Amino acid sequence: MTGRAPEPHALIGAYAMDALDRAAAGRFERHLARCGECASELAGLRETTARLSAAAAVPPPARLRGRVLAASGHTAQRRAESRWPSPARGGGRSITVAAALVAAVAVIAVLVVVAIRPAGPAPGGPAAGRRAGLAIAAVLTAPDARMLDVRLRTRGRATVIMSARAAALIFTASGLAALPRARGYELWLVGPGRDRPAGMLPRPRHGMTAPVVAAGLRPGDRLGLTVEPSGGSGRPTSAMLLLVTL
Amino acid sequence: METVSGRRSPPRHRVAGGASLAGLLARTARGDQDAFAAAYDQAAPALYGTVLAVIRDPFLAEEVTQEVFLEIWRTAARYDQDRGSALAWMATIAHRRAVDRVRSEQRAADRDRRAATHAVAYDEVAESAEHNLERERVRRCLKWLTELQREAVTLAYYRGRTYREVAALLGIPAGTVSTRMRDGLIRLRDCLGAAR
Repeated sequence: MTGRAPEPHALIGAYAMDALDRAAAGRFERHLARCGECASELAGLRETTARLSAAAAVPPPARLRGRVLAASGHTAQRRAESRWPSPARGGGRSITVAAALVAAVAVIAVLVVVAIRPAGPAPGGPAAGRRAGLAIAAVLTAPDARMLDVRLRTRGRATVIMSARAAALIFTASGLAALPRARGYELWLVGPGRDRPAGMLPRPRHGMTAPVVAAGLRPGDRLGLTVEPSGGSGRPTSAMLLLVTL
Repeated sequence: METVSGRRSPPRHRVAGGASLAGLLARTARGDQDAFAAAYDQAAPALYGTVLAVIRDPFLAEEVTQEVFLEIWRTAARYDQDRGSALAWMATIAHRRAVDRVRSEQRAADRDRRAATHAVAYDEVAESAEHNLERERVRRCLKWLTELQREAVTLAYYRGRTYREVAALLGIPAGTVSTRMRDGLIRLRDCLGAAR
């Protein structure tokens, strides 16, 4: 099984199919840099592997398209002139924010998918799930979307993505203290008037709660979170664990 | 995709977009979201199917496909038409990411369990219920390879195996496997070229 190490050039097929381990790939790339005909042979083999790819075509889930397009709207592109940038070098603040948004989009996308998975019947059925997905997409794609990352007074963290233009926010949390079955976390929009209930958080799975969309945001609203009976309350009956100025 | 009017060439199968996909990538590089959406529509089935073949988990495959398209969005300016087709460039990104993901996540036990079922890789391409013209062509050309070439190519491409793993699975020297991979791809290339 061991034998002599193969001629570097013989590795070209394996290289075209990403079938080399790191050391062998390095060996081949050194050969590639010196080899005149290799680039065109490699290009030809890559056209062939592209045919293998096309032969494996499967329609992706329809929701992926919206997620990809929404995420691209928040992702900075590399300019043509920086053709081979060193990947480790970081960009400025706007890139950091964009990267954070992309990460948040990814997390939310995963959570949405988890929430829609058939582990239990989704409240309101698939149509409600689709509506929530559309509402989430509306916030994520809004040009004024902002993300806040906050710590709860007890334990856990919350991520809020809000858009004044969409008059809505998306709320997810992780690491919240577990509650008895009869109690749940309730979101509030705390404005100049009375506090408006903005939805119960779903039970966490793997420590993460699926995203909740709170619509009907008004200027001056703050976001609150309390523990309430699991059916929800009309007004907060316990201390705010979180009060975020939006 | 325009065809030259008048002279009708033999039916020529274009891989998910061909030239127009390259045009869409050029516009994507300038930040054109509509072009990116159109490129997604053309290439997503091939890229998702490829990632799914390697990763085997639809949930994870979806996540990786999203990463792939974001990489395409970010780096579209790097695509150089002179160096190959747009689909080849995109499929290379997709396959590499899928392979990186399985290699970093797959547990040894999992791999061993799958080792017992390696023959599935080719059968799946051959017998999948989902038929398309390209699949038919590739399937026919794969049959033209020797058994060893075919196993080496399909295990590497559709299962993300390294040539050393393929060598261990098939019980032959690694050097032989790398040669079979090259010969197999060349034979496949010639067959597919002739079948166009």
